[in-house]
Amino acid sequence: MRNAFCSCEFTDRGRTLMNEKEWLEETCRYALESSLRKGAGQVRVSAVRDVSNGLTVLNDSLEKIQSAVESSLMIRFFTEGRYGSCSTNRTDPAEIDKLIDQALSSVRLLAPDPCRILVPAGLRYEGPPLQAADHREISTETKKSLLFDCVKSVYGKEPSLISVTADYADYKRWLHTLDSSGLNCSSEETWYSLSAECAVKGRGDTRPSDWEFSGGFSPESIGLGSQTPSDCAKRACKRALNKRNPGKIASGRYPVVVENRITSTLLSPLIEAISGGSLQQQNSFLLGKLGKTIAASVLTLVDDPHRKGSPGYRFFDNEGMATVKRTVIEQGRLSMYFLNTYYANKMQMKPTISSPSLLSVPMGKGNALSLAGSLKNGIFVTGFIGGNCNTATGDFSYGIEGVRVENGQITHPVNEMVMTGNMLDLWQKLLATADDALNSTAWQIPSLLFDNIEFAGL
Amino acid sequence: MNQKKLLELALGKGGDYADLYLEQSLFHEIILRDGKVNAADTNSEGGLGIRVVKGQNTGYAYTESSFAHDREKAAKTASYIADGTITPKGPARFTTLKLPDRYNILTPWDSISPQKKMPYLYELNELIFSADKRVKKVTARLADSTSHIEYYNSLGIHCTDIRPLASLSVSCIMEENSQRETASASRSFRMGAEFLRPDLIKELAREVVSRTAFLFGAGQPHGGVMPVVMSAGSSGILLHEAVGHAFEADFVRKNTSIFSDKMGKRICRPGITVIDDGTIPANRGALNVDDEGVPGQKTYMVTDGILTSFLHDRISARFFNVQPTGNGRRESFRYMPLPRMRTTYMENGTDSEESLIASVKKGLYVDSFSNGQVQIGAGDFTFFVKSGYLIENGKLTQPVKDTNIIGNGPQTLAKITGVGNNCLIDNGTWTCGKEQSCEVSCGMPSVLVSSLTVGGRL
Repeated sequence: MRNAFCSCEFTDRGRTLMNEKEWLEETCRYALESSLRKGAGQVRVSAVRDVSNGLTVLNDSLEKIQSAVESSLMIRFFTEGRYGSCSTNRTDPAEIDKLIDQALSSVRLLAPDPCRILVPAGLRYEGPPLQAADHREISTETKKSLLFDCVKSVYGKEPSLISVTADYADYKRWLHTLDSSGLNCSSEETWYSLSAECAVKGRGDTRPSDWEFSGGFSPESIGLGSQTPSDCAKRACKRALNKRNPGKIASGRYPVVVENRITSTLLSPLIEAISGGSLQQQNSFLLGKLGKTIAASVLTLVDDPHRKGSPGYRFFDNEGMATVKRTVIEQGRLSMYFLNTYYANKMQMKPTISSPSLLSVPMGKGNALSLAGSLKNGIFVTGFIGGNCNTATGDFSYGIEGVRVENGQITHPVNEMVMTGNMLDLWQKLLATADDALNSTAWQIPSLLFDNIEFAGL
Repeated sequence: MNQKKLLELALGKGGDYADLYLEQSLFHEIILRDGKVNAADTNSEGGLGIRVVKGQNTGYAYTESSFAHDREKAAKTASYIADGTITPKGPARFTTLKLPDRYNILTPWDSISPQKKMPYLYELNELIFSADKRVKKVTARLADSTSHIEYYNSLGIHCTDIRPLASLSVSCIMEENSQRETASASRSFRMGAEFLRPDLIKELAREVVSRTAFLFGAGQPHGGVMPVVMSAGSSGILLHEAVGHAFEADFVRKNTSIFSDKMGKRICRPGITVIDDGTIPANRGALNVDDEGVPGQKTYMVTDGILTSFLHDRISARFFNVQPTGNGRRESFRYMPLPRMRTTYMENGTDSEESLIASVKKGLYVDSFSNGQVQIGAGDFTFFVKSGYLIENGKLTQPVKDTNIIGNGPQTLAKITGVGNNCLIDNGTWTCGKEQSCEVSCGMPSVLVSSLTVGGRL
């Protein structure tokens, strides 16, 4: 039966006879069994199918339309104690067989790596499929209307406007994963997003710009179905206008509020430093810090994968390991490392999960402006420009843009300044967390207030 | 369905222009970690991208399928950027471009087994560990890809290109008195397996060991505004970020670049010439032909201090009534082409590096970088410095590391007050991330910028 499938009743016509879920299951099953037949030993197979659409409006015309249907298949081999992988978007059986032959011949030449294993029973996900999909069809005309209504709020109305761009994107994604030990899990997701970017006339030749974004798994998350047009472009325009005529201020130590939409830039080095790859390679400033205080007590960070409807909602990770709610940092104390089976085995520790799903900071108060209102002489950072963090030492340096705050009032925009320090020191200086996390991102980190941070300027 | 019919279908709604981009790529990677080559990856993918242009607007669709009805569907989807109905005629015949061979593959990658590649990684690992007792970990990756491109457009142009890309990157962790430091080094060329040479391995081992060892004695500098001498080679990141992106003509066409009104005007001192070049043989940024059928070429963006050319794709070239410059590039068939850089560098000046350093009383000398970013309209750019030295009274003194430098593109270009006579192209694995990933490279002679804002400690 499967050979018949493979010898190719699997045509474009065949595909239309199956729904996406059935097609993914058949593709995975074929790849798994073919790999085993060819002597792969143990195998994990994942197949993904994406259907995506995008439209862009520039000022008063439709600038771009894009559409795609794509598939991908990834096979991981755990063969005679050796590990390798292969992937393709050519998912007809002949191509799959050819790829497996090529990949297996490479894998057999590798050095053994006994730490590579399939997810053991007890850790692997064994529940129902994840459903985070909205099945309503949105017509192209409706999408266009959404975009034109969005840009209309500023185009031809704001004298300083140079251009406004609004982007609509959606996708439907089906995922199926099988392994030779019995893992069998799948998910179905949709995502809708609307973003706008405005450029305005600034001082001299400058054309400051800024953006706004909304997104979610249902069309309502971007204002579809609402009587009120999206204010995305209006908000982007306001932000761009607020950036006109910036200047540097004196170098010094300042209290700083970092706005919710960029706080993940500061969290990212912490997460990287507690991830298996960095820890096992000793490329982490948080090596040996498990159970120790790494931040001020106002920081509690939770990974909550099962909050339905939020980005990052998932039942299993890329290995098929079941996700659970975990506290990552509790009142400043590091509670966990992110360890997949490989790095856990290498470090002789218990696996947790390969990466965070939906991070949040509970128990904050107010928003960015209320935090900024508490500053006598500080900086409200609204954007990072470039910069990096040394994962081994925690030393960081980021370019910033934002506004000066004096006596609780925003006075003028600042730019061409650099915020520098060490991550361990920075997070010890966290004074307060707001309650304004954005729900359109998987890392829902609110605005944060830090004390006494070093800035280079004039 | 043949290519002519597909183009006719794409133009069926009244589009001005259409093209077809067929790609088939094969990628291999082997990884050395913890002393063993114990992971391998193979990726095979292909598809067809169909673009329709109407005025400045673009319809784009792609399919991974080779079935006629999937390709017809993609052509029809892309056609909807126009909204009329005509009976288009495709080109009477296609003329195949005669192109140079800038890659000169002597040994195709698909003729080399992993067995022949592995000894190079083991040799690299051995050389690094034997060079310094502080070395704790080494990770090395050898990747090769070969892309077969076939292109047709409604102007009757047809071309093919076989693009190889080889990359070897290595990172090293050292430990001394409980302090850990990490650095990396890489090389990348468009060439076949002749890329693998013993002297390349020795060169990379020396480089990564010296870079990592250097960091133990280095610290973040004192921050503030100061003159900066940028060493020859990877300092070309300054050109890429500070001016290169702002010269990409999609931004200029939309009037969002800070250089939009500067064509033909002086933007820096005489003697400074900045080039974007796709013609350097085997270079990572080299192209026989770009991704919309325009032969690879050398473009003088700034000639003797005067802005002489933007970087054009076919859409912007038509808008400005100039010839396209061969900068229409895309990550893969999944993306529509955009104006993108290739290898961006500055021509030699007359100063020696020693004289530039000697002219600075108190400033910074920088010689290796990891990443950068720019705001096209505001002109603010940054680049992250991995290593350098303080300059005190014309001499290099304290080693420095991990600091971000920020400036404004046009102002910084105008502040280049000295240009060395030692231009060097950097052959690292530089990748530009403007909406899509594209391989690029950069170069520069040593230059003196009279003032930039340097991040650092107080």
